[in-house]
Amino acid sequence: MMFMRRSTQSELDAFYPVRPECHDSVPKSRFKLKTGKTLSARRWRASFSEEGQLDIAKVLRRIQRGGVHPSIRGAVWEFLLGCYSPNSTFDDRSLIRQRRREQYDELKAECQKMVPVIGSGKFLTTPIVTDDGQPIDDVPGPHGSQQGSSDPAFEKKVIQWKQVLPQIGLDVVRTDQPLMFYQTETNQAKLWNILSIYAWVDSDISYVQGMNDICSPMVILLENEADAYWCFERAMRRLRDNFKTTSTSIGVQARLSTLSTIIKVVDPKLHQHLEELDGGEYLFAFRMLMVLFRREFSFMDSLYLWELMKIGYS
Amino acid sequence: MSSDDEAEEYLFKIVIIGDSAVGKSNLLSRYSRNEFNMHSKATIGVEFQTQSMEIEGKEVKAQIWDTAGQERFRAVTSAYYRGAVGALLVYDITRRTTFDSIGRWLDELTTHSDTTAARMLVGNKKDLDDIRSISIEEGKSLAEEHGLFFMETSAKDSTNVKTAFEMVIKEIYSSVSRKVLNSDSYKAQLSLNRVSLVEDEKKQNQGLSSCCSR
Repeated sequence: MMFMRRSTQSELDAFYPVRPECHDSVPKSRFKLKTGKTLSARRWRASFSEEGQLDIAKVLRRIQRGGVHPSIRGAVWEFLLGCYSPNSTFDDRSLIRQRRREQYDELKAECQKMVPVIGSGKFLTTPIVTDDGQPIDDVPGPHGSQQGSSDPAFEKKVIQWKQVLPQIGLDVVRTDQPLMFYQTETNQAKLWNILSIYAWVDSDISYVQGMNDICSPMVILLENEADAYWCFERAMRRLRDNFKTTSTSIGVQARLSTLSTIIKVVDPKLHQHLEELDGGEYLFAFRMLMVLFRREFSFMDSLYLWELMKIGYS
Repeated sequence: MSSDDEAEEYLFKIVIIGDSAVGKSNLLSRYSRNEFNMHSKATIGVEFQTQSMEIEGKEVKAQIWDTAGQERFRAVTSAYYRGAVGALLVYDITRRTTFDSIGRWLDELTTHSDTTAARMLVGNKKDLDDIRSISIEEGKSLAEEHGLFFMETSAKDSTNVKTAFEMVIKEIYSSVSRKVLNSDSYKAQLSLNRVSLVEDEKKQNQGLSSCCSR
C-alpha cells in the first residue's frame, strides 16, 4: 500500500516539471491520484464503444470522484470542452480533426501574410506599428505585405491587431515561466501564435491580459498547435464575455456582482465585511474569476479544478 | 492592529501606473515585502498592498494600488484612481515606447483623479544601464515639464525603491498636514479613505484571512 502511494506520487511529479530554481516559489500541488477513482488511461479507453462513442456520463462521474490522470488529459479535455461530441465515432473525429487542422493552417497563413513572424518559431515583444498605424521599419528585410485594401474598416482591423501583438509577446514571456515547458522559445512561440491568431479571428475581444493564463494549459496538454488552438477557441466561447471591455467596464465585473449577490444570501456577515473593505465590488475575486483560479493554485491543481468545473462556466 | 490611536493614523491611497512589463508589481513587492520575482506574471485587474512608515512619530499607512498595464484594462483600473493622493508613473528605461506613453498616463490620472498631492515619474530597470534608451536627463526634463518628482529605480537590485515610495508618502503627508490645518472639508474628504482601518478588529472573528490563505 505504502509502495503504491509513493509510486503514484512520483508518477505525478513527472508531469508539468518545474524549473529547479523555482521549486520554492510555486504553490505545492495537492492533487493526488486515487486508485480506483481517478480516471485512468485504461478506464478512459474502456469508456468508448467499438465505433468510438464515448460514455460521457460515466467519465464525468469518475472525474468528479478523482480527477483525470495527466497522461490522458489532452484527449479528455477535447471532450470536456466540446471540441467533439461524445456521440461521434473514431472515424468522424479523425475527419473533423483533419479538417480543423487545415482550417487552422489557413488562418495561420492569412496572419503570416500580414506578419511573417507568425509561425516562424519566434515572436514579437516590440511594436511593429506606431500608435497611428505607421509601420516601424527599424529592421530592414521582408515585411508583411500591405494588404493594399481600400476598405478603411479592414485597414483599421489590421492595425489594431498588429498593435496588440507585442502585448501578447510581453505576456507570453511571463506566462507559467516556472514550468520547464516554457523554457524554449519554440513553445513560447506556440502560445504566441495561438493567442495572436485568436486575436485576429475574434477581433471584438482581440487579446486581453489573462487570456494567456487560459491558453497556456492547452498548449502544454495538446502537442499539436492546431488542436490546442481549437481547445482554446472552445474555452473562449464560454469565457469570452469576461474579457469583453467597454470604455467603462470589463465583462468579468458582471460575475463579481453575481458573486456578491450570492454571498449576500449565503453569508450576509461576510458580505457586509467585504462591503466595508472594498465597497462591495468584490475586487479580490477579479483575478480569480478572470483566469479561473490559475494564480491561486499550482498548475496541476488548477487543471483539476477546471475539470471539476467542466472547464470554465457551463 | 489596534484602533485605539486611530485618530493619529493616516491612510494614503497611492496608485502605480504605466505600460505593461515596466516593473510596477516588482516595485511594489520590493517596497512592501523586499521581494523581487524574476518570474512575475502580468497583473490582472488591480491589486493592492499596505505598507506603513513613521513620520513625525505618527504611523502613516500607504495603501498602494498596482494596476494592469494593458490599455484594455484602463476602464477598470481608472476607477481605482478615485481618491488617490499619490501616484507613481513608471516607465522602463530600456523601452522608449513606455516613456512615450507617460503623457497618456498623466492625462488618464488627471481625468480620473484630481486629488493627487504627489506625483512621481519613475524610470525603472536602472540595473539595465547598458541597454538604456532613455537618458536620465530626458527623464528629468519630462518630470520638470509636468511638475513631477523624478527618480530612477531598480526593483531588481533595490536601488531607490524605498526612497521613491517614501518621498511620495512624505510629500503627501506634508501636503495633507498643511491642508488639514486650514480646511475641515479636506479633512472630511480624506477620512473617507480611512474606512478599512476601523474594520481591522472584526477581521479575526469573521475569518476572512483564513478563508483566503488556507
